[in-house]
Amino acid sequence: MLNGLMKKFAGKKSSKDTAKKRLQFALVYDKLEINEMTLESLQKDIVEVISKYFEIDTKSLQLEVQREQELSALVFNTPILCVKKNRAYNSQKT
Amino acid sequence: MEGKIIVVTSGKGGVGKTTATASIGAALALEGNRVAVIDMDIGLRNLDVVLGLENRIVFNIVDVVNKRCNLSQALIRDRRIENLFLVPASQSDNKDVLTPLGVQRVAKQLKSEFDYVIMDSPAGIEKGFENSVVAADEAIVICTPDVSSIRDADRVIGLLYARSITPRLVVNRIIPEMVARGDMLSHEDVMDVLSIDLLGLVPMDDQVVVSTNTGMPLVMQNQSLAGQAFRRIAKRINGEPEIPIQVPTAMKTGFWSKITQKLGLTK
Repeated sequence: MLNGLMKKFAGKKSSKDTAKKRLQFALVYDKLEINEMTLESLQKDIVEVISKYFEIDTKSLQLEVQREQELSALVFNTPILCVKKNRAYNSQKT
Repeated sequence: MEGKIIVVTSGKGGVGKTTATASIGAALALEGNRVAVIDMDIGLRNLDVVLGLENRIVFNIVDVVNKRCNLSQALIRDRRIENLFLVPASQSDNKDVLTPLGVQRVAKQLKSEFDYVIMDSPAGIEKGFENSVVAADEAIVICTPDVSSIRDADRVIGLLYARSITPRLVVNRIIPEMVARGDMLSHEDVMDVLSIDLLGLVPMDDQVVVSTNTGMPLVMQNQSLAGQAFRRIAKRINGEPEIPIQVPTAMKTGFWSKITQKLGLTK
């Protein structure tokens, strides 16, 4: 107890505070991790949806999760070859 | 009435799952319940030695699940504590020999014959873990106040929630002197990090090693602080949730208190 108080007065941070901060950060970070299989099936679904409206180059597309200290973002990069013109018309008809 | 299946799990190995299973099981039996403790750590069994029943093993849980024997043939009755039974793990198989479906079938039978069935899960989150939680009604997550154990506990808590099980936490091996010094996470810190209900706090206790050496259940040693903590945990499980959670406190280490302790004047 006294030891703890002395540390506080001396302005020294106790090791458990460091542990707690590191833990909280690690747990948040861990939960942002996406496994390979999820990412693959997400990519498949996205390609499927986009292909309804655009013709895209499926070979050169990229899907990745970019992580930074504060936030993480899903980035999907694809070259558009052309827009499917008759899309709106078709969907009205069916 | 049907019994309850409680799984004891942690993610990380070596945090005290087996000791907790043995202690909580024994304590629940001392409270007058019919209890079966099941060692689900196939290939690395230890619940039998912790309970001092290792030389009475004939059949094991793999035999029961794979129908090589009846459940009653694999149940080892503890001669010191009435109504305490052990189903040991197999030492020669690996964890893949059990299937969730087979475990569920045996679990159903266990439930009909016992008030409490405590499953000692293996470390890890693979198939052995799956088999241990597949039939569970409740879960107890054990962690020690250190970074790696808490991180793994968080992972396991997530997996349990995904199975619609709301686990409760036991913080094991608390060293009050270190907590006071600020060199060990307090149980409040642990609770801050993991959002989960607290079931109990267990202090570091030399008696755990002694009890494992001899195979005498910890909860039968009245002077053991960890044993007392596990008995209170068992009471909370067994319909007395109001029993207050005692925070382990530092023993006085001054000259006079040492002497009075030696003389048995103070606890």
